[in-house]
Amino acid sequence: MSNSTSMSEEASVSSDHTRGHDYNNSLSSLCTPISPPYHQQQQQEPSPKAKKKRSQPGNPDPDAEVIALSPKTLMATNRFVCEICNKGFQRDQNLQLHRRGHNLPWKLRQRSSKEGVRKRVYVCPEASCIHHHPSRALGDLTGVKKHYSRKHGEKKWKCEKCSKKYAVHSDWKAHVKTCGTREYRCDCGTLFSRKDSFITHRAFCDALAEESAKLMAADAAAATGMTTSTSPPLLHHPLFLPFSSCDSLPNPKPNCNTSPYQVKPQNPLPSSLLHPYLHHFPATTSSYLSATTLLQKASTMGPTTTRSATISTAAAGQMGSSMFDAGDPSAWQRNDRLTRDFLGAVAGDAGEEGLLSLTGALGLDLVTAASCDRDDHNKHFVGFPPVTGTWGDC
Amino acid sequence: MDTLFRLVSLQSSDQQSSFNSSRTSSSSRSSKANHQLFHHPFQNQQELDKYREECGNNYHLCVDEDFSSSSSSKHLQPHLSTPPTAATTTTASTTHVLFELADFSFPPDLNIDFASPSSSSSAAGGGGGRWAAQLLLECARAVAARDSQRVQQLMWMLNELASPYGDTEQKVASYFLQALFARLTSAGPRTLRTLAAASDRTCSFDSTRRTALRFQELSPWSSFGHVAANGAILESFLDAAAGGGGSPQPQRLHILDLSNTFCTQWPTLLEALATRSADDTPHLSITTVVSSASPSAAVQRVMREIGQRMEKFARLMGVPFKFNVIHHAGDLSELDLDRLDLREGGSALLAVNCVNALHSVSPAGSRRDLFIAALRRLQPLIVTVVEEEADLQPASAGDGGGEEGEEGFLKVFRESLRFFSAYFDSLEESFPRTSNERLALERAAGRAVVDLVACPAAESAERRETAAGWSLRMRAAGFAPAAFSEDVADDVRALLRRYREGWSMRSAEEADDPGGAAPGIFLAWKDQPVVWASAWKP
Repeated sequence: MSNSTSMSEEASVSSDHTRGHDYNNSLSSLCTPISPPYHQQQQQEPSPKAKKKRSQPGNPDPDAEVIALSPKTLMATNRFVCEICNKGFQRDQNLQLHRRGHNLPWKLRQRSSKEGVRKRVYVCPEASCIHHHPSRALGDLTGVKKHYSRKHGEKKWKCEKCSKKYAVHSDWKAHVKTCGTREYRCDCGTLFSRKDSFITHRAFCDALAEESAKLMAADAAAATGMTTSTSPPLLHHPLFLPFSSCDSLPNPKPNCNTSPYQVKPQNPLPSSLLHPYLHHFPATTSSYLSATTLLQKASTMGPTTTRSATISTAAAGQMGSSMFDAGDPSAWQRNDRLTRDFLGAVAGDAGEEGLLSLTGALGLDLVTAASCDRDDHNKHFVGFPPVTGTWGDC
Repeated sequence: MDTLFRLVSLQSSDQQSSFNSSRTSSSSRSSKANHQLFHHPFQNQQELDKYREECGNNYHLCVDEDFSSSSSSKHLQPHLSTPPTAATTTTASTTHVLFELADFSFPPDLNIDFASPSSSSSAAGGGGGRWAAQLLLECARAVAARDSQRVQQLMWMLNELASPYGDTEQKVASYFLQALFARLTSAGPRTLRTLAAASDRTCSFDSTRRTALRFQELSPWSSFGHVAANGAILESFLDAAAGGGGSPQPQRLHILDLSNTFCTQWPTLLEALATRSADDTPHLSITTVVSSASPSAAVQRVMREIGQRMEKFARLMGVPFKFNVIHHAGDLSELDLDRLDLREGGSALLAVNCVNALHSVSPAGSRRDLFIAALRRLQPLIVTVVEEEADLQPASAGDGGGEEGEEGFLKVFRESLRFFSAYFDSLEESFPRTSNERLALERAAGRAVVDLVACPAAESAERRETAAGWSLRMRAAGFAPAAFSEDVADDVRALLRRYREGWSMRSAEEADDPGGAAPGIFLAWKDQPVVWASAWKP
């Protein structure tokens, strides 16, 4: 592979289709879509021993060849065409097998290993898509096909049980395997097999009322002063944070301060909260994840997923969860090892910094915060499935 | 039917009648002079005592079958041994009793086949298991024809057989008998008020929540309409909002909720709104209107609690939310819609959700049409109508609520019988054997039956109409039907799959009426359409 050559060129930006960013030395794994940690703000380099972790997809080798296919070509099933008889095949191996039958002379038999066969990356043909730009091209053809279907394609596959729709057949298959097998557990302890009855129950459940009662008390104290807060105010329940802690955000809205526990009717609020953190975390809709966070909480999975659960909350990283991580010192502290590991892995120090700056903005002294409700929060963690897994489909 | 006996014991002396002297049927006394249909006392005090000690104040289901004797008094004797229980399977054997009584001049034309199914009344479609319907219809006919003798016989028989704790047939018999009795004694409104007060006493947030949620868990009766309506509302809102071109202005949706399901429809909509809206979650306001002839403090408390929970839940879901409750005393058509600020100054899209609300508007005059026209003036984005399918309109549209003739009464009676039999049947099969929630639902249905059978139509809040009827009204007011999308239809089908056998969905369009007599979809219980859901746009 040409990796070694491209690495030596990294300092001087040779490729004209990537931005002049300073990719650090972890370019060795360019054959896979996993790319080096991507810093928009060009923070310090991660240590050489940094674990390679999946960051935002589509940060390709600057030297890779960018291929732009039309939607039709992209979705064409027979990509490999025999040059001799023009027969089309879905897989390269099948094409090779077929070519053998043509009795080609030895030289022609070899797949022409061109000297500069460069790594190929593909852009999404959809103009409005973020992956349309070559700097965000995706490295795997199958991957870009699936991406195109998922994001811009028609959802042709539908789950029988819950009517969820999918564009990619394999996504659908994966979902059908688990749909209906997952159970939902409410905080009050009741188990549900149906999502809709769970939701309706949850909305009126007494457990909900109790949580809120606790938070009301907490929030009342928090509203008065967010400076040095000891135990109760810091019990900002993660899922309630989006609205209740807006007063201390970098861009405070005036009406936040009045009744922090009222739901803010202003919509711009969520988006402004999102922006600072978009850099660090994959962009997903805030509300999407808060709803799914709720469901994640409630679904009962094995205890082994607890760890991934915390990872998922940190990684999910949009408004609700990021606030959560910052605002929940008890959980943060307790799962410190895990989250730090994860944070160290995912966003490097930048990610952690981001969160620290957030906490700074909040004016909370997280480290000293006592946590009264450790157990409660612990309870909420149980049963988080990995976010990138089946949940992505919800 | 406690009242039956209570009246007997209160009034010991009364007119004699020209009845067969050996008759020992019980009767009730009419307290008003107008309805002198019942005026037969017991032959003598002795028999009255015997009867009373036999039957007491409970339902008396005779188990013994040995009735070789034909004398009138004997039949009352041997049954002290079987205390009335909630047992339901004695129906069949009981009825044999009545046929053995030679002196009980049983109307020869009453050819009711009591050959019993086992306990479930749903076992036999026609014939055997449906004695309640037959008896009740006969009784109603007798009432309409003012045939007092027959009425007495039938009511006595029904009283023997009926029980609100028995099987479906017995329950139906019990509640309809109560209503018939109220009609005969002109005590319809009074009975209704008493029953309503009784239920109000036990009404609380907890009981209401439990009943509503359990009902939705076990039967798609209400969730059918909810799923369809939510789907239609959400889709039309997202389409309209997206069509606006992803405007920087946040999208706001205001829902005018006219329903009797205590906001159990909205949590799933909130969740869907949170997960399906592409970018920022739109702001949702819900204005719920609770209207009743006599608003009760209990209902107000319940609604307040519901409001709090909804707000908390919306916070949980991350949906900006506002919730209003309006308690309206009187008919829904009197509500001044313009004062509610439904458009929020023009920034919000309005959806109107009518679940079982339209039939609560009095059918008198053109109130219903006026009300729907008022809805039309609001220029909503979409109006979802969920109604129960039954033709309970007063017969003469002219006076629309004046005194119904016999024909009108019989028609309403027959239709109510059909509808509520299906309802009770579905409840029976969905709920477990003993269920407080089901009992509460049945009692509510019983009140509706009293309203339909014994109260004047003009003040009735239970006069349902068919899908075709409502469709005509909606069209007349300037609405056009909006078909449910395939997605919504799939959701509904998926919903029905989660329940027990017996439920099905069908489209309302008839093949033979290309004009589309009724748009929307039906929920059918054992192939009988019971609930209709539809969506309308201006």
